[in-house]
Amino acid sequence: MVHARAYGLPRRREVRRLGATVVTLLLIAGAVGAAPPGGFRGGALDPPRPAPDFTLKAHDGTAFSLSEQRGHVVALVFGYTFCPDVCPTTLAELAQVRSRLEPTAAARLRVAFVTVDPERDDAARLRAYTQAFDRAFVGLTGTPGELVAVQKAYGVIVKKHVAKGTSAAYLVDHSAFVYVIDGEGRLRLMLPFGTSIDTMTHDIGLLLGR
Amino acid sequence: MRSIARVLLIFALVAATAPAALAQQAGPLQLENAWARRAPAMAGGGHGTGGAMAPGGMGNGAVYVTITNRGTEADALVSATTDAATSVELHETVQEGGVMKMRPRPKFEVAGGGRLEMKPGSYHIMLLGLKRDLKPGDTVSVVLTFEKAGRMTVEAPVR
Repeated sequence: MVHARAYGLPRRREVRRLGATVVTLLLIAGAVGAAPPGGFRGGALDPPRPAPDFTLKAHDGTAFSLSEQRGHVVALVFGYTFCPDVCPTTLAELAQVRSRLEPTAAARLRVAFVTVDPERDDAARLRAYTQAFDRAFVGLTGTPGELVAVQKAYGVIVKKHVAKGTSAAYLVDHSAFVYVIDGEGRLRLMLPFGTSIDTMTHDIGLLLGR
Repeated sequence: MRSIARVLLIFALVAATAPAALAQQAGPLQLENAWARRAPAMAGGGHGTGGAMAPGGMGNGAVYVTITNRGTEADALVSATTDAATSVELHETVQEGGVMKMRPRPKFEVAGGGRLEMKPGSYHIMLLGLKRDLKPGDTVSVVLTFEKAGRMTVEAPVR
């Protein structure tokens, strides 16, 4: 019988580094007055560009339009509920980001999980899947045409793959960035898979702070 | 007298067999840092129109373990089972140009003196058709079968 060690909490050095970064940013902000925040640590878009608008169906049956999320920061994740590795990792990390933010800031972060597998992902599956990570998360689906349009607008690559050696009928290869849109509807960050929770919290926190 | 002899005989037998059994269990392989990603079983939730679902629940999960091979010979993880899922497969996620591709693998080899660290976005043990929700605080027991070391059990806490 092998017992696992408890998973390590965020490394102290990273927290210290984050603290140092925040202090530095405050000093810079103080020195140059109303300079834009900058100082993102993940994949920031410079200059930001308007995030393509879309309307999809939320897991509770309501319509979800990006243009109606103004004032909120939206983190868009593309994935599928059959996925056990990458997609749940991203959602679990975003749940951690939300829990690390101040409650008032966390309340202004919307995490939307857009399915790349509408064949298998209906509203019930999307609800069960997203709610397992955070009750504030929303699962989005639509017609195949609507979903392909959103994928194209964001440059998301999706490819169905029939693999040998698995009981799964098919797997779906897909881009795994987290697209972060600010409160004014501008695409600000594209965070690749593997971005640390510290970096995500820092960068999303910056967007929520302004 | 005869009963003492019998007891001694039993002791001798246990002494002869037990270390062998233990050695086979532990062997040169060390398993550590086992954990499972939280995941909903999604039993009875929704239905797909295309493709066969794994029987039982429709949720899938992943378990990660670090295998260290302290021996000189290579060994390989060839299969795994758990009572928490209908079936278990060995998968690897590979990244190509920002696209994540999950691929089944027949086995995970660990060279002599080598180490295989399963982690998100890389090697993982995929649980198909979860029979129950995997919630933080739960533990998933997984039996791993190796080519040479045989069967080893890990307890993977869910987080």
